[in-house]
Amino acid sequence: MSLTRLGYASINVKDLVPAVSFYTDVVGLRLIEHDKRGRRTYLQTADNQDHHGLVLNEAGRAGLDHAGYKVNDPADLECVSKELRERGIEPKSVRAQDVSGQGEGIRFTAPSGHDILLYYHADKIGYATGMRNPDPLARVPALSVSHLDHVVLACEQPEEASRFFRELLGFYITEQVNMPDGQPVAIFLTCSNTMHDMAIVPGPNGGFHHMAFGVDSRLDVVARTDLLKQRSLPTMELGVTRHGVAGVTTVYCHDPSGNRLEFAHGAYLTAGAGDRVPPVVWRPDLHERAVFFYEGVIPGDFFSTVT
Amino acid sequence: MALRPHGIIRIAYVRLGLLATDIVQARSFYRDVMGLIEDPRSNAERLLLRCWHEAYPYSLVIERSVERGLLELGFEMADFGSLAAAARRLKATGASESEPGAPLPGLGASVLCEVPGGLKIRLFAAVTDMPSYLGGHMGPDWVVPRELRATVAPLSLNHVGVTVPDPARTVDFLRSELGFAISERIESDDGRRLLSALMFRMSKDVGGQEIAIFRGDEARLHHIAFTKEDPNDILVDGQYLGEAKVRIDALGPTRQSYGRTFSLYFYDPLGIRLELCSGGRITEVHPEFEPVVWTESALSKALSFHDRQVSNTFLDACL
Repeated sequence: MSLTRLGYASINVKDLVPAVSFYTDVVGLRLIEHDKRGRRTYLQTADNQDHHGLVLNEAGRAGLDHAGYKVNDPADLECVSKELRERGIEPKSVRAQDVSGQGEGIRFTAPSGHDILLYYHADKIGYATGMRNPDPLARVPALSVSHLDHVVLACEQPEEASRFFRELLGFYITEQVNMPDGQPVAIFLTCSNTMHDMAIVPGPNGGFHHMAFGVDSRLDVVARTDLLKQRSLPTMELGVTRHGVAGVTTVYCHDPSGNRLEFAHGAYLTAGAGDRVPPVVWRPDLHERAVFFYEGVIPGDFFSTVT
Repeated sequence: MALRPHGIIRIAYVRLGLLATDIVQARSFYRDVMGLIEDPRSNAERLLLRCWHEAYPYSLVIERSVERGLLELGFEMADFGSLAAAARRLKATGASESEPGAPLPGLGASVLCEVPGGLKIRLFAAVTDMPSYLGGHMGPDWVVPRELRATVAPLSLNHVGVTVPDPARTVDFLRSELGFAISERIESDDGRRLLSALMFRMSKDVGGQEIAIFRGDEARLHHIAFTKEDPNDILVDGQYLGEAKVRIDALGPTRQSYGRTFSLYFYDPLGIRLELCSGGRITEVHPEFEPVVWTESALSKALSFHDRQVSNTFLDACL
């Protein structure tokens, strides 16, 4: 059948303690499980009923360990494994509970150097508000995020990576931004009705550009920026901004290990995009406006900084 | 491609029948106040309307009819294989008829299915004459087009609310035959009777519903909901609607806990209930997805977290 959505990001951090503190206190995630032996912590956003949406691995460095995407049919795992083998990529079987709270899956390294894990089952923990007569918001924290929206992967050949994920897993391009020399700045891919579940940008293979959390309104992006400033956490110099792409209102910051994250609101829905609706490909001379709509300038380190 | 979606991929349109005298009024309201866009094939007999962010020819169809009523909901399927499979399955239930064409422009082969309770759903696999995005495909900015400013100008059709005599029966059919899932439901306190359900077929960041089912005497329209980006936009739209003397529901702008949207309900000149909504639960077309459950005694909290008061007529059908 098909992928349903980005399930979680499993990222590396230098030290677990400050990372956990950042993701619970500043981002507002729920702390689900701490695996002392594995030096690993599982967290979840407010409006997701699965066991985890973010896994932190203490690894002495930053970066993406793997991205987890969910399938809606257990047979999909064998189906993808077969096609991977035909492409000369050997998938690894992942046993149930190897990733805590999660059923069996397959893990493979894409040619772009990123590890992807596909799985069908996640243990259910419910929404932060509960599942019965729930309030629309949880009691704590006051400022949370609703969901993990997308991951952005960096690699040397973005076009090839985009083709790989489209052909293997049924992603479609919703929008693409190219430089005047024709090289892609960013390719946005969806596997559902979201504007993007993954994006690909140029950079070193296996690079992790950022992950994005969805918040409930544009004002939540402003409130989030206030919070980041109050905690003396550096935001990207543009502060609150808007991407021409997707039309989202957004702010970026870094976690204590240097992983970049985004808080965004306002991505539109893309019913049948790619298959029915041709992708938006921004005119090369508009590429700066496509990335930073208000400023029309892309800060020098926006694409060069990856983990 | 190892993985591909099957079955329904999107809610395509809601089709209403109105009297000839209604059409002129409807046209001016949906075009000038709501800021919907008319397809070139729209005429005095049939209005074909869409939202500015939709790249499909129409999502609201209003046509001349001998009596007022909800005619059908349209859903687009992933491919002709999905359509043929649905046709076979539905034929076995006796609930459908396949049609070589469709009574709407550009749809081609379709299957019209009468869901138990009387709701009509049309399935099709492709629509021709696709318009491009209003802002084009080479740098659209995604800002409300200048000519639509100071209208409501929603992004897209979000969901359609309907009443049916026996929600449990309708919901069972939508689940088993058309692959819909429940994101939230309201049941009697003893859990024995299903009163309402929000049903979806699209994996979304926000949403949770393409069809909202309520209990009523027969299959009728309860409301039509359109997507807005942000709660703040809905507050501003409420100003425009008030200025245009549009009747706004007594709840005013509110948080609807049922579905977790920020919503505003109001009525078109013919009394059709409309909703603007922003937000909504994450949905995932996955067999293990679990619904939120509401009990009847929490109904007022479910329908309005802020007001906790729901008028007697709020749950009635409107067309």
